[in-house]
Amino acid sequence: MLRAEIDGLNIELEEKMSILDAAKKANINIPTLCYEDGLSIYGGCRLCVVEIEGEDLLKPACATKIEAGMKIKTHSKKVRDLRKNLFELIIATHNIDCQLNCLTCSRASNCELKDIAEDIGLSKMRLAPIKRGDSIDNSSYSIVREPEKCISCNRCIRKCEEVQGIGIFTTANRGPETVVTTFKDRGMGNVECTNCGQCILSCPTGALHELYQKDSVLDILNDESKHVVVQTAPAVRVAISEPFSKQAGDISTGQLVTALKRLGFDAVFDTNFAADLTIMEEGTELIERINNKGELPLFTSCSPGWIKFIEHFYPEYLDNLSSAKSPQQMFGAVAKSYYAKEAGINPDDIVVVSVMPCTAKKFESKREEMAGDVDYVLTTRELASIIKSAGIDFLNLEESEYDELLGVSSGAADIFGTTGGVMEAALRTATELITGEELRKIEFEDVRGLQGIKKAEVEIGGLKLKAAVANGLGNTRKVMEMVKEGEEFDFVEFMACPGGCMGGGGQPISSDQNVLEKRQQAIYQIDKNKKLRKSHENPYIKKSYDDYLENPGSEIAHKLLHTKYKARKI
Amino acid sequence: MDKFKSLFYQDSLLEKLHQFQNTYGYIPEAEIENLSEKYQLSRANVYGVISFYSMFYTEPTGKYIIRICDIISCHLNESDSVLKAVKSYLDLKSHQTTEDKKFTLEVVECLGHCGEGPVMMVNNKIFTKINKNKALEILNDCM
Repeated sequence: MLRAEIDGLNIELEEKMSILDAAKKANINIPTLCYEDGLSIYGGCRLCVVEIEGEDLLKPACATKIEAGMKIKTHSKKVRDLRKNLFELIIATHNIDCQLNCLTCSRASNCELKDIAEDIGLSKMRLAPIKRGDSIDNSSYSIVREPEKCISCNRCIRKCEEVQGIGIFTTANRGPETVVTTFKDRGMGNVECTNCGQCILSCPTGALHELYQKDSVLDILNDESKHVVVQTAPAVRVAISEPFSKQAGDISTGQLVTALKRLGFDAVFDTNFAADLTIMEEGTELIERINNKGELPLFTSCSPGWIKFIEHFYPEYLDNLSSAKSPQQMFGAVAKSYYAKEAGINPDDIVVVSVMPCTAKKFESKREEMAGDVDYVLTTRELASIIKSAGIDFLNLEESEYDELLGVSSGAADIFGTTGGVMEAALRTATELITGEELRKIEFEDVRGLQGIKKAEVEIGGLKLKAAVANGLGNTRKVMEMVKEGEEFDFVEFMACPGGCMGGGGQPISSDQNVLEKRQQAIYQIDKNKKLRKSHENPYIKKSYDDYLENPGSEIAHKLLHTKYKARKI
Repeated sequence: MDKFKSLFYQDSLLEKLHQFQNTYGYIPEAEIENLSEKYQLSRANVYGVISFYSMFYTEPTGKYIIRICDIISCHLNESDSVLKAVKSYLDLKSHQTTEDKKFTLEVVECLGHCGEGPVMMVNNKIFTKINKNKALEILNDCM
């Protein structure tokens, strides 16, 4: 037991912890900027400094452990005055002039810097912003970097390195010339960036954001000659309301569909349909590889961040990747062939727009192997912004249903939005197809939850299937090392983002610590509420094979629904 | 202990960077990739270390690296006129290399001879109390 005093309150702690964490326990908020839960302590911004009785210097609360008997003041006049001065200096490096101003900023509606200014009671700004003259990094198909806004808090560097295990960012140079940049200043599009966008979620300044396609989508919606269809990824429906309601975990599938119809899309479809299709193709591939002693383990191929990761870091395992395209790309291919035929529309007139929780999907849509399947990719954040700018009162919208043909899906498709979901969906279908018997328990608890790595052994009709699930690229690397060291698996699900798609780099930036749990529970709830919970029972999937795709793994299915990968250098 | 220490230093990242800088005159990309593997650092990280030190280069430099100090004590002894003369003679700005790859010019902060300024350094050799004529003579000797 450790006793100390914070702001005159006596506190008792079971274990040693930082002053910042101890203060949190006492319901005292100390402002932070470079600190982020789950990342290493950097101690660079100094906004969290506190006064400790008997010590001459103020100490950073994030990097100082609390000791027995300490008397700490977190908001004394000395501390508050210093914080304001420090913040003024930090903000001087955040250039907000006419071109880069607050009104057009990606964080206009949820600026962390504004929150801090309020928290510390900032009342004056005496320093003009420094204009370093850094040029905008437009080299990536997915992410744009505006270094003039960067305040060198290093959160993107630590996120990329510590959580995702890649490390495309570094601080370069020294003193006033210090900048955050990529290897040799090459830009994010020219290095080993996987486009996962986790850095965007960490950046407090709006220096990182997705490459916007919202204006292009609004333009194409005004083009009468085009038939514009939209697909929405499973993870979007449990996050799209966050920018409106400021709370996490709401299910707003029906409102999402209504909003898209009001925006003028000619057909509102669901990526979930293509997720069911993915299970048919990938499941068939798994069964084939097991029966024919093919390359095992089979790796899932839905997450484009993971795909680029394996292409850069483990190219020797590319044959283990399922050749099935991701649901987004399958949808595009099917919309421009099967749907075009059924609806009697010239495929050249069809424009496919995706709404994704993901920034890497923007890159994926530009891959030469699948070019033309999908025309524009919006993040969940971009769609929320479009809905706002169209004057749609999202929260109070009536609910509507997806359009038929490519809009009906099973609960198995819904859970694609969380880590473990693709695995669970595949297990539901594989078990029933192999054994020919109905599943008694449809939930596979071992692959549920938010742990970074999950393992499960599933018995399917005498066959023992060894499965693993990894989310967050740092964890995918760990599992790849297990595979390299000879640990045996049959099927592994890999997702680039922590939590899977629902934690994607294109999702609304939340200040709720439990946002991932809430979104995940919402996804499980959607699945639970559906009558249809297995991909192979989706009548529209059966219809698509009967009418057009013949059967899973057929020649036409291969032409439309499968792809290739390529080794990339680091 | 001493043996351990010397091994440690020989094998440190900075020592390796010095070796490559001395061998190639810059640190080639292939070596950066080797170092990144050896030290389990991202290549961006290794680049960050290199760029922190002004005497490491990631691109080839001229045969002669001319460093002229322009910090206050040298400046008071008119290092700016030396700098101006050298710049116009070589037709270079700071951080640039001549087309024939002979000279690279660097304006630096302190070469450790503050009592004898202006100071100029050519590769590893220090020249103190120079003026613009002496500077040009030194350059001519390199030609």
